[in-house]
Amino acid sequence: MQDIISVKELNKHFKIYKHHRGIMGPLRNLATRESTLVKAVDGINFVIQPGELVGYLGPNGAGKSTTLKMLTGLLVPTSGEIRVNNHIPWKSRTEYVAEIGAVFGQRSTLWWDLPVIESLDLLQHIYKIPEDRFQQNLGEFRELLELDPFLNTPVRALSLGQRMRADICAALLHDPKLLFLDEPTIGLDVVAKERIRRFIEHINQARGITVLLTTHDLSDVEKLCKRVMIIDHGKLLYDGKLDLLRERFGEKRQLIVDFVEEYEIISIEGAVIADREGSRITFHFSGQDITASELINKLSAQYRIRDLEVREPDIETTIRRIYEERLLE
Amino acid sequence: MRLFWELSKLAFQRQLTYRAATLAGLATNFFFGMLRASVLIALYHGQSEIAGMTITDAITFTGLTQAAIAFLSLFSWYEVMDSVYTGAVSSDMLKPMNYFNFWLAQDSGRAFASFLLRGLSIMIAYALLFDITVPQSADQWLAFILVLLLSWLVSFSWRFLVNLAAFWTPNALGIARLAFILSWFLSGFFMPLRFFPVWFVRLCYLTPFPYTINAVVEVYLGLVDGQALAAIILAQIAWILLLVLAGMIALRAGVRRLEILGG
Repeated sequence: MQDIISVKELNKHFKIYKHHRGIMGPLRNLATRESTLVKAVDGINFVIQPGELVGYLGPNGAGKSTTLKMLTGLLVPTSGEIRVNNHIPWKSRTEYVAEIGAVFGQRSTLWWDLPVIESLDLLQHIYKIPEDRFQQNLGEFRELLELDPFLNTPVRALSLGQRMRADICAALLHDPKLLFLDEPTIGLDVVAKERIRRFIEHINQARGITVLLTTHDLSDVEKLCKRVMIIDHGKLLYDGKLDLLRERFGEKRQLIVDFVEEYEIISIEGAVIADREGSRITFHFSGQDITASELINKLSAQYRIRDLEVREPDIETTIRRIYEERLLE
Repeated sequence: MRLFWELSKLAFQRQLTYRAATLAGLATNFFFGMLRASVLIALYHGQSEIAGMTITDAITFTGLTQAAIAFLSLFSWYEVMDSVYTGAVSSDMLKPMNYFNFWLAQDSGRAFASFLLRGLSIMIAYALLFDITVPQSADQWLAFILVLLLSWLVSFSWRFLVNLAAFWTPNALGIARLAFILSWFLSGFFMPLRFFPVWFVRLCYLTPFPYTINAVVEVYLGLVDGQALAAIILAQIAWILLLVLAGMIALRAGVRRLEILGG
C-alpha cells in the first residue's frame, strides 16, 4: 500500500535571539543579535500507512507540535521532505487542508461567539460539503459525541470537554482522509478522556481514517495506539509497537504472592525473588522465560497460597526511564 | 459565493446583537455631530457660502461624516491583528478559504449593519433637526450609492493592509493607530478639504483617503459631476486594486514569515 504520510530527514530549526537584561539590554540586543539555534525537529524519518492510528509521544517541548504543524502545512520545514496524501502540505495548502482534519487541543477552530451549530453550518460552506453528506455526518457525530445538549450554546460558554468534542466533530464533517490531533485529551477528566478515545477509535476503525495524535498522556497511547513514535529533543527515539517497547525496556512483570505460611526456600525457574516480607513474596519474571499462569501453577503445586496478584509493568515508568536514562539514543 | 453570503450574514447578525454598544456609539456620534455642526455654523458667521459649500451643505457634511464613522470603521479596526495575536489565524489557515475574502465578507456584514443602524439613523436625526441637502436626481443618488460602496472597499483594503503589520511586530497597535489618525485627517473627515489650501488638497488626493470621505460627501452634495465624478470613481477603483494587491503581497509574505518563525 502507498504511504499516506512520508517524512524524510525532516528538520525545523528556530533562531532564538538572546535578550540582554538591564537598562542597556535592548541596545545590546540590537547591537549584537546573538542567537542560539534551537533544533525543534532534528532529522526525523517515518512513514504512515493509510488506516493506521499512531501515537506521537514526547514530553513538553520535545518537538511534537512542531512536527504536527509541519504536517498540517502551518510551518515550513528548514529542510527535509514531507509528503502527505500526495501533497507537500505548505505548498498547496488550500487544496491540502480540504483533505485533512486537524484539532489543536489548546485552540478552537470554532467561532468563539457563535453557537456550536452555526459554526458547524459555516464549515459546511467553507468545505463545500454536499448537504446530504453534511447532514449524515452531523447526525452521526451528534450522537457519538453527545453534542445535542450544547449544540445551541456559544463556543465560549462550553466546558473544555464539550469544546473538544465540538472541535473534533468540526474536523471530521468534510470526510477527511487524515486526522491530526494535537493533545486531544489535555486537561480533561477521566470520563471525558474516555469518551474522546472511544470516538477516535471508532472513526479510525469504522471509517478507515488515518489518525496521528500527539500526547504526553500515556493512557491515550496505551488505550488507542498499536504503534507509537517517541520523540525527545527533536529526535525520533522509537518507532514501533507499544508492546515491543514494553518488552525491551519495561520493568519485569511482578507476581506478588501471599503464602499461608512462611517458606524458607522457594525457587522457581524463570522467576527471581525481588522482595520478601513475612509470608509475602514478590517475584520478578519476564514473559519470555515463563508465563504468569505457568508460574502460578508451579507455585501452587508446591506451596499453599492464600492470595496473589500480577502486576504488569507500567508503561509510564518505562517511558520515563527512556527519557531520563536516554535509553534509545 | 455562498460562503461570502453566510459570513456576511453572520457578521450582520453579530452587529445587531450589540444593542448597548450601538446605542452608545450612536449617541456619541450624534453628540459630536452637533458639536461639529455648531463649530461650522460659527465659522460661517453669516456667510452664505464658503468654497462653494452653503451652510446647509456644511451641516450636512458633519452629519454625513459622523454617519460614516461606523460604516467605514474609521477610528479603529483591529480584527485581523487580534486574530494574529490570539493565534486564531492558524486555525483559519487550516481552512480551505481565501483569507482576504473571509474578512471582506465579514466586514461587508458589519458595514451594512452599521450603515443601517448608525448611518441612516444619524441622517434621519439630522433631517429632523436641520435643513439638510439631499441629492437632487436619481442619477445623483445612483452615483452616490456607487461611490459609497467603493469607499467601503477602499477603506477595507486599507484597514486590512494596516492590520497585517501584526505579522511582523508583536505590537502593531501603534502602527495601526497612526495609520487611522492619518486616514481621518487626510480623508477630509475633520473639515471639508475645500476649506484647505490647494497644495494641501492636492497632497491629500495623492493618498487613497479622500476617496473614503471627502469625495463621497462631494458627490452627495452635488458638488461634482460629469468628468470629475468619473475621475473619482476611476480613482477609487484604482486605489482598491492597488491596496488589495498590496494586501495580497503583504499577506503572502506575512504567512510565509509565520510559517518559518512559527506562531
